[in-house]
Amino acid sequence: MLAIVLWATVATAGEPAVDYALNCQGCHRADGAGTPGRVPALAGSVGRFMHVDGGRDYLGQVPGAALSALDDASLAGVLNWIVERFGGETDFTRYTADEVGRLRKTPLVDVEGVRTRLLARAP
Amino acid sequence: MRRIWLDLLTERATRELAKRTSRRSFLARVGAALVGTSALPLLPVARASDVPDDAALSGNVGDPKSCDYWRHCAIDGFLCACCGGSQNTCPPGTEMSPVTWIGTCKHPGDGKDYIISYNDCCGQSLCMRCRCTRTEREKPIYFTWQNNDLLWCFGTKSRAVHCSVAVVLGVATKS
Repeated sequence: MLAIVLWATVATAGEPAVDYALNCQGCHRADGAGTPGRVPALAGSVGRFMHVDGGRDYLGQVPGAALSALDDASLAGVLNWIVERFGGETDFTRYTADEVGRLRKTPLVDVEGVRTRLLARAP
Repeated sequence: MRRIWLDLLTERATRELAKRTSRRSFLARVGAALVGTSALPLLPVARASDVPDDAALSGNVGDPKSCDYWRHCAIDGFLCACCGGSQNTCPPGTEMSPVTWIGTCKHPGDGKDYIISYNDCCGQSLCMRCRCTRTEREKPIYFTWQNNDLLWCFGTKSRAVHCSVAVVLGVATKS
């Protein structure tokens, strides 16, 4: 049954969905639920970063994104896909390869601290 | 004959259930469950074209108990198929880790790359049967999320690794 559920999640994949499966899903899981206490959930929280100063940059600087094996264009694509799919956002400025390329040059060190401060200010 | 505690427990549970539900509602729920279950395979997900045909494979590439099985191109650990489970399921008494190592393997039958999830099954000591170490697309330890030497029992009750499964998540390339 688990296999069927997972299959249904990815089978109709376009490129960003495949990039998500291969580079993000192992920890953030197919449904973006994460693992409480270990891996932050994307579902229900990632969209909030788009509504707070610094949140947009955070998503490009977080180590899983900045240090991933994806090139800039693919990372921009998968970030847009994540914000839409797990954040439920449709009306937002899409990430570009140039923007992501700039952001990932300064990956975060105190990830948890930045995340907590951003979410405390986010609507 | 003295009735054992299980009989008593079962009887008590059955009587409680009978008190709280009518036969008709029970039958309705069973019927709904049967209809729902039969509808599941009909859900509009892309299946047929993406399902690898394992039945057509022969030899080690088609044997889930072999390190050469096609899904095991990047597995590092003991095969659950040799440990009381299968390539998809954990052995009884173990728990599948929700956090997992994901890569791709090429199916020798259709030549497509499939997305494979190597979930560890956790909660018992090492199985010690069918140990495999394959490293396709694996990265060095400093890429921790793409290194399969790590224990992947995160988010489970126990950190003890027993064996690993190789679940197909979907197709990675359409061509």
